[in-house]
Parts: sequence; C-alpha cells; structure tokens
Amino acid sequence: MKQSQGHNRPKKYGMVIDLDKCTGCGSCMVACMAENNVPFKKDETNKRDSITWMKVYKLTNGKPFPENDVCYLPRPCMHCEGHHGHSPCVSVCPATATDYSTDTGIVSQIYTRCFGCRYCMAACPYHARYFNWWDPVWPAGMEQMLSPDVSVRMRGIVEKCSFCFHRYQRAMDKAHLEGRHELAEDEYQTSCTQACPSGAITFGDLNNPEHKVHQMVKPDNAHGGRPQAPNAFRLLERLGTNPKVYYLSTREWVRKAGDNSIKGEGKAHAKH
Amino acid sequence: MWPWTPVPKNGEANVVNSVSTLCGGCCGISVRKIDNRAVKIEGMPGYPGSDGKACPLCLSGLQKLYGPTAVSSPLKRVGERGQGKWKKISWDAAIAEIAEKLGRMREDGRPQGLACIMDRECGTVPALFQRFLQVYGSPNFMKTASVDDAYELTLKLMHGVAARPGFDLESADYVLSLGSGILDGWGSTVRMFRARARWQENNAKVVQVEPRLSNSAAKADQWIPIEAGTEGVLALGIAHVIIKEGLYNKAFVDEFGVGFEDWVGKDGKKHDGFKTIVLKHYSPSTVAGITRVDPDIITETAKAFAAASYPLALCGRGEGRTPGALHDFMAVHALNALVGNVNEKGGVWAVPLPDYVQWPEAKLDMAAERGLATDRVDGAGTERYPLAKSLLTRLPEIINAAEESPVEALFVSGANPCYTLPDTAVAKAAFSKIPFIVSFASHMDETAMMADLVLPDHGHLERYEDIPAPSGMNTPVIGLCRPVVAPQRNTRHVGDAVLMIAKAMGGLVAEAFSWESYQDCLEKTLGDNWEPLLDAGFIHNPKFTPDAWAKAFQTPSGKFAFMSDACSYEAEGAPIAEIEGKADAYPLTLIPYDSLRLAGGPVTTTPFVIKTVEDNVLKGKDIFVEVNRKTGGKCGLAEGVYAHLSTPKGTVKVRVHMSDGIVPGVVAMPRGLGHAEIESYVGGKGINVNELIGPVEDPVSGMDAAWGIRANLTIA
Amino acid sequence: MSALEEKSKAVSDGGGFALLFFVVGLVASLIVGWVVFPKILYSQKRQPFDFNHKLHNELVDEGCESCHFFREDGSYAGVPKLAQCVDCHESVQGDTEDEAIFVNDYVTPGIEVPWLVYSKQPDCVFFSHAAHVKSAEMDCKTCHGDIGNSSTLKVYEENRITGYSRDIWGKNIAGFKKNTWDRMKMDDCSECHVKLGVHQNSVQTGKGACFVCHQ
Repeated sequence: MKQSQGHNRPKKYGMVIDLDKCTGCGSCMVACMAENNVPFKKDETNKRDSITWMKVYKLTNGKPFPENDVCYLPRPCMHCEGHHGHSPCVSVCPATATDYSTDTGIVSQIYTRCFGCRYCMAACPYHARYFNWWDPVWPAGMEQMLSPDVSVRMRGIVEKCSFCFHRYQRAMDKAHLEGRHELAEDEYQTSCTQACPSGAITFGDLNNPEHKVHQMVKPDNAHGGRPQAPNAFRLLERLGTNPKVYYLSTREWVRKAGDNSIKGEGKAHAKH
Repeated sequence: MWPWTPVPKNGEANVVNSVSTLCGGCCGISVRKIDNRAVKIEGMPGYPGSDGKACPLCLSGLQKLYGPTAVSSPLKRVGERGQGKWKKISWDAAIAEIAEKLGRMREDGRPQGLACIMDRECGTVPALFQRFLQVYGSPNFMKTASVDDAYELTLKLMHGVAARPGFDLESADYVLSLGSGILDGWGSTVRMFRARARWQENNAKVVQVEPRLSNSAAKADQWIPIEAGTEGVLALGIAHVIIKEGLYNKAFVDEFGVGFEDWVGKDGKKHDGFKTIVLKHYSPSTVAGITRVDPDIITETAKAFAAASYPLALCGRGEGRTPGALHDFMAVHALNALVGNVNEKGGVWAVPLPDYVQWPEAKLDMAAERGLATDRVDGAGTERYPLAKSLLTRLPEIINAAEESPVEALFVSGANPCYTLPDTAVAKAAFSKIPFIVSFASHMDETAMMADLVLPDHGHLERYEDIPAPSGMNTPVIGLCRPVVAPQRNTRHVGDAVLMIAKAMGGLVAEAFSWESYQDCLEKTLGDNWEPLLDAGFIHNPKFTPDAWAKAFQTPSGKFAFMSDACSYEAEGAPIAEIEGKADAYPLTLIPYDSLRLAGGPVTTTPFVIKTVEDNVLKGKDIFVEVNRKTGGKCGLAEGVYAHLSTPKGTVKVRVHMSDGIVPGVVAMPRGLGHAEIESYVGGKGINVNELIGPVEDPVSGMDAAWGIRANLTIA
Repeated sequence: MSALEEKSKAVSDGGGFALLFFVVGLVASLIVGWVVFPKILYSQKRQPFDFNHKLHNELVDEGCESCHFFREDGSYAGVPKLAQCVDCHESVQGDTEDEAIFVNDYVTPGIEVPWLVYSKQPDCVFFSHAAHVKSAEMDCKTCHGDIGNSSTLKVYEENRITGYSRDIWGKNIAGFKKNTWDRMKMDDCSECHVKLGVHQNSVQTGKGACFVCHQ
C-alpha cells in the first residue's frame, strides 16, 4: 500500500457568473435538475418548496417605464468558506451532515446523515438550501432517467447544489487510472457551466492563477477572498460568508443590489 | 434510504450524438447513457449553430422519452372527439382501416379530400407525405406557417429566387432587431445565444425594438419601446433618414436595385418608387406619431445603422411562430438592401432550399391527375393568393363555412394545430367537422385528442430522421436525428407508417414507394452522404457563400426589387396590419410573448422547464398577464389581482402583473400555457393565448398577419 | 420499625429471586441478542450457481483485473457481464452442474446472471476503485479477502431490514475483526484513511470530509 495522493495542493473550486452575459434562459436550471436527479411536483409555482439548486432570479432597477431595466442572477450554492471553512450552514449542523472540505472548498451534504432539522436553511443567507417536504415521485417510467452518480433524496432531508461533485469524482477516477493526481481545468466543470449557452458561467480553481476564474476576479485570499477585479462582486459580501461564487456586472445598480444596501448606505459599498 | 426511494442502476457510461427536434432551433445533442438508459442530455460539441450547447427544452428531452404522455400503441377513438376514450388496436388493423377509407374516397373521385398538416416541409419525412398526397391525388399538403415563410416570400419577391433566409449574424456589428425575440427563441435558439456572445466580444451594438422589455430587450445595448405592431413603420422611418441624408449604399442601389426610383409597371403606368414613397410618407415626425418612438431616436438609429460596417436588421416577432405582415418583412429587407447588406458579409443571405431529396418522378393515374388539378382547399396558389404555398390559418374558417367539410380525411404529423392555430375554438370546431383524422403523434396532444386514429411515431430519441438546416442558418446543414435508445413502446416510425399505408393501398400509390423501410429510404436518399452523416452526426458546408450581386437576383429585371408588379405599396404607403376589435370597446391591445421557459409550439413544455417559470407568470393554475403599471392603475388594478381579460374572441380570468417594462396600453400574455390536462405537470395550467387572438389575413400573402388583438382588462 | 424499613426488608428477602430472574433474563436476552437475532436478521440466499475463482484465476494473465477491469473513463466495471464470459462459455465445458446451469439458463437465452454482490455498498456511497487500486496501489485482498483463491461461492446473507449484504457489517456480530477484509463499514474506511492520513480535510470532524466517499 502506498500513501500517495493525500497531499495535493488544496483547491478552492469556485464560479464566476458574468451577469452581462446571462440572458435568463433557464438552461442552467434545467441542466442542473437533469444532472442531479432533482425531483419535480405537479405544481412547482410555490417557489418556497420548489427545489431548484440553481435558481435564476430576476432583478430590476425599480425605475418606471421606460427607464426600467432587468438583470438575471443565477444563484447556485455559494460554497461559503467563512473563516477557515466555518460557513454559516456547516457550523450549525448538529448531524455532521454538511461539511466543508479544505481539499476542494466544497460544502458537502450527506443526505443519509441529515435528519431534517433545517438549521442550515435558517443559517444560509442565500436561500440555497431546500427541504424535501415530500418523498419524490416520478411518473411511471420516468425514474429510468435517474443518474446513478447522484443519490436520490427522500422526504425529510435538506439538499443543495454540490458543484456537481460527482463530476469531480468521475474526473478523478479517470485521472487515477491514468496515473495523475491533478485535473486539468476542463476536466471538472459543473453541469450548469457546461450548459450555459451564453457562456456566462465560468468554473475552476480560484487558487490556481492559471484558471480563468482566478484571472477574472483576482480573489484576495488575505482578505476573505474579496474580488480585486473591477465589476466583480459577491452576494452579501459584508456578512463575511466568504462565498466562492463571484459575479461580474458593468451596471452599478446590479452590483449594489448584490449587497442589499439600505438607502444612502450604498455609497460606501459601491466601490467595487 | 427508504425502500421506496429509487436507486438508479449503475453501469457502463456511453454517449450517443443526435439532433433534438423538440425546439425549432434543432439543438445538436449528446446523450449520456448508463447501459441502455439515457440519463442526461447535453449539447453536442461541434454541431453547426448550437456547438456544445442546447436550449432548456432540448436539455429536458428525457422527460419526453420516459414521460407519461408518450402514446404506447396505436389507438382508435371510442368516445366522443376530445373525450380521450381510446381502445388499443394492432398496427395492421389501423393501417387496413386507413387504406380502406382512403381507397373509397379515391374510388368516389375525391382524392383531393385528403389533407396533411405538418410543421416542416423539408426533409425525407415531409417528402414522403408530399409524395403520398401526390400519387394519391391531393394538392392539400399544409404546413404551419412561421416567419420563415414570410421571409421566403420576401426573397421570392425581392430577389426573385426560391430560397431560405440566412443571417450572417456572427459577422454583424450592428444588429437592429425589429421585434424579433433574438434571445427568446427566434431563429436557431442556441446559435442566437452564441452570436450574442460574439457581438459582446466584438463590441457590436444590438438595438431591440419591441413594446415589451423581453429578455432580448433587456440584454440589448438599447431598448426602443414601440407602439405594438408598428415595427415595420419604424423600419421605413429609418429608411427615410438614410435616403434623405444620402447614407445608402449607392453602388448597390443604383446598379443592382430596381423600384427604388419611380418605375413603370406592366400596366404601362408610372408608379412611385421606394424612395418617393418613403420620403413622402415616413418622415421621422410622422413615424414618431405612429410608433411613439422619439424622432431623434429614429434619426440617431438610422445614422448609426448606416454608419456601421456590417449592419443587420432582423424581422419576425417573438419566437417567430406566426408569419406576420409581408410589408413588414419587405420594409426591413429593403432597409438591409439600402445599406447593401444583402448576400454580403454580416447580412441577409438567400440560401438555396435544401435539394437533397431527389426521387424519381412518380407515375400518376387519372384519379391522381384529376385530384391534383383541383384548387387547394386553403386557397394557397389560387388567384386570390397566388404567392403562398400553404395557408393553414385559413382552413378552419373554410371548413366551418362549408356545409360538409371539404377535408374528408386528414393526416397530422409533427404539428399540433388544435393548440397552435389562432382562434383555437374555431380550429377545434373545424377539426370536429372533419370526418376522419389520423394523428401520427408520438405524445398525446390537443390534436391527437381530436383524432380517430393515433398511429404513434417513435419519440425524438428513438428514431432516425434527417434534419435540414434550422431557421436562419446561412450555411447548408443536414443533421441526423438518430435513435439514442431502442423504441420503448409499440410505436413505428412515421415514415414506415406512410410506407405501410401506401403498400396497403396497392396500385400506383404503392409503386411510388419502392423502399423497404424508412431507414432504407433515408440511406438511399442521402446516397454518398449517408456514411459521413452517420459518422459525424451532421453534414455542413461552412464555406458556403451566397451568389454575388451580379447574379443573385432572378427578378424580371435581374435586379433587387424594392418594388415590383408583384408587390407594390399603394399611394399612401404600406398599411399597418389591422388587428381585430374596436378601440372603444377594447381600449387595450393584447400581444403574446415568447420565452424559452415555455414551449409555444407543437411540443408541450416539460416538467423541468415549467419549473423554471416565475411565480408572476404562473401561480397554481392562474396565468398572469403583464401590464404597464400606469395602465393597470388606470384600470383600477393592482399587483396580483384577478381580472377579466376580454377580446373579440372571448373572456378569460387572469391575474395581473404590474410591470415597468412594457409600453402603456398593452397587455402581454405568455405563449405556451393552457395545454389540455393530459397530464398534470404541464397540462391544465393557465390559458392558451391562441384562444384569444384570431387570424388576420395578410392582403398580399394570405398568411396570418395578426400580431395581437384589441382587448380589455377589468378587475374581477 | 418504620414502614420504610419494613419495605426494604421485604425487598432484601426477595433479593435472591430477583437476582436469579435478572441473571436468567440477562442470559436469555444475550442469547437472543447475540445468537438468535443475527440468525433472524439475515436471510440466506444462494447465488444463481457456483463459481470457481481459483480455476479462472489460473487461466488468465492479468489476475483479478482480467475480468474485474477498469473502463476507459476510470470507472470500475465490477462483476463481469455475460459478454465477457461467452467467448469461452459458448457451449458447456466440463461436466459440472453449475456450468450446465450457466450455459443453458443464461448464455443460450442471453440473460445476464443476477449475481448477488457481497460487497455492494448502499447507494449513498461513492467508492473509487481507481483511487485505491491504481493510485494507492492496494491489492484487492485488503478489502475483499482472498476471493481469487476460493473455489466456491459462499452463501449470500442479506440483512432483512436494510437489504445490505452481511459482508458490510461483518460476520462477527459484536463487530470485532481480525483481518482488514472482515468488515466494510464506514468506520473501516475511515480507520485506514486516518492511519494513512488520506484527505484529512473536514472542517467539522478534522477527519476525511463526507464528499470523499459519499454521493
């Protein structure tokens, strides 16, 4: 037996979403649902119980016609690092069902450990977590489309975006077989990234200066990963959740909307 | 993990490339399989246009494959029409019944009583139906019309060629979209997304002209809100500025244009040319009065358009499901011609119609000859509408007006006219008068519900089919739709069903179909192209270039016809297509809008896709209409309230979404809801906007020119 | 004598019986718990027919991987499919009854053999054979025991409640193990991972993070 792959350079997988490019088509949402065996009900119009790991929000500048403007904002799980991996949801989980990996920077969710207390949902400021109020039901025959790579969830547990971690596992399997311990940038991409027809989503290792995500936002790791690139911002930056999903927008009102500022307060935060 | 929680079986992963026919854009897809199960659809890298990406509907295609609405065997109606009572019958019995019915009609000397409705007219499957109708003796092949048909007619009139419109989108550096939902499903959906990414990289400017802040408008560099239905007028207003300021491409207009200056027609009279009419009737201030677009914006837009290196004006509203007024298309195309952007880089190209389906001429007997000599039932190609190939939207009224339906037997394949035709109630009434309807639907839909026999086609992931270039492609493409999994149910390829019917009929009808099976027909039709098609999944000629100006135009003058005998404006200029309803009873205008999150065509939305619909579009079973905040306030409405929406076609109950992104006086309703409740994931939700809008005949083409209808909205 | 003392005397008088009852009860429950319950808990299932690993192992060149191979994408194929066997087993070879069952019931009609997999993990588990066999260069025996030298298949015992194979919990109901391959529980995975310091990257536990082995 050989002790080998344990100590690769730690990754920090993250996402950059260019809101100027996003057209709100919904391909990412559908690609995510299809990839991750996300269940669906007959009525999905109550958005509070409609499970959408990736959800596209519609923002508006609130101005009257014809100055009105809208912007779409896709919201996966932010995979917050918090301080040293103490992301809001991980620190409250009493079941060790959700965890932060210092290897990949991914916040995991183990369905079979979760007992449905929903503390994590209360703790998540991004509404990225969803509760299974019902057992999923597939119309007769449709369970045939389920992917074996992702466990099917049951009633009474919480689920959320995993950055398609099974794709990482799949890519690593291939790497192991080929005697590699590192993945190339394009070997591990999430389903939504792959699907986005506008090329608005970029995914990769934020720690790796060669990766596009790093170059696009230039995260300042000394200061909780704050983006140093102009036009880059994160949602609710000031909460200190240190999320790994970054957004780009050339429009100031969009960047401001990202931090939920109250009136008159925005000026201090609008600098990035 | 509970025992009732499904555990998906693991196995060997493999990938099959195909083309998805769910959307109009024909996304190239790569389907990931685990052993024999298809588990995920992704975009197929390298596929012309969509290149590695796919639209939301095509991404969710497995829900069609394994879904509950797939028809599992041939069905014969036992209850009333539309009641949904069926009995399963064998293929042989179904084919025998059809052959017997058709045989009798033919013996009685009425082969023209057979009609066929499809969603496409190119490719081997439509060709099989067309050939069947021909040898049987009916001229009544009909296609659901779209912007492509209006564009084809435009090219016929202005270029004098039979061609499809192709847009060199990627090279354009100024895109003026006159109502086209360029990011809402217009053209080949995914290609449009990719083109937009290119425009962003190249700093191309995109201007969206539309009454509603659609996704296309929101993502454009500039949104020009406009009075609904007046986009064509704005095009002429822009032309006015370009001509007046002398900004047009004189090299093209002078040497290759005709009808720009005043001209003499066949009648020997002098007619006003395009220049005279536009200068006389379409000054910015006049146009501003009609379109409510500021005259300065018109002038600025015109100057920017003319100054761009590769300006491109696009036409056809929303997703392009309804053709629209021919004059609008000609006005927009004239705008492209003014800047010399026809058959040029970054412009509109006339791309020859696909001609790979070359079969030996079929022998016709007397019965067939006599049937074919009759006038088409929809009036296309007759003296009234000589230009149109088919006019399906006219059919319901014609059937309803007749004592006995002139269509005695109807084949429907790939189309869902009982959902997509305007004024659905009238269309359904007409269908219930047709004595014998055969549907080749793979999934139960509104039209199949009206059928006497359903002969289920394989699903889109279970069959072979050649897929000609999607709408707007400027290079010739043939894609291959191929089986990803073996047929899951007792279905047969629609091509095989046609062959079986023909063989059962015997005689010359059978003789015209010498192929053993549809696949045999497909392979032989493609000949040497079959192997490369099978290998790559598509055949593409990316190097195709359109004819140069000197030989591009086949009009009588050999030039680009701004105006001609076939189509000229009256002295007062091009009319705006009138819509139904009187303004005093109906102070508002209802327009449909398209979104990628709802399928508005013959294919019903999937459970995954409808999940992405926002809760101010659909909530429970209630549909929301969008109305300007001020207009809504004037009507006494508030966000989310229930209201009665009435048009000359009927009144429905809706909820109201107050919006700042829509011009005052307009009510916008999403297309793609209100499907029959065949299943409860998508069906039975909201209202089908087609129920509320009737067709308006274009005076020249006869195609549906309606872009909306007068409406009223009152609190419920 | 207070009422309280009286009561306590009565109790001590009955103490012998109580102790006896307790001991008998304890022994009985121990027998039920350690002997009877495991017998009831597991149902015994036979494989469709017997298989001689040793015999096959001698005929192939690349050991276990000759049949239990990796696919090109790095995934592990697991139990061989019929297609891999038919090359040799198109017709009955030898005269064992099992061979006849195999050829007549499965090969000829083309039906996959419904093998019961001793080491099948629950659906929520992701296990990368490639990481262990290729990168860490572990041999199959470490987890699976010396199956390659067995000449017959043991009875498959299935947990009636969970549906899992007994090999996961292990034969010893108390959970003792002598060999690395005696059990295949999460603790057994983590024991080795902790010892070798593999991926100790969990913020919650300081051990391996959940997503290393879960899906």
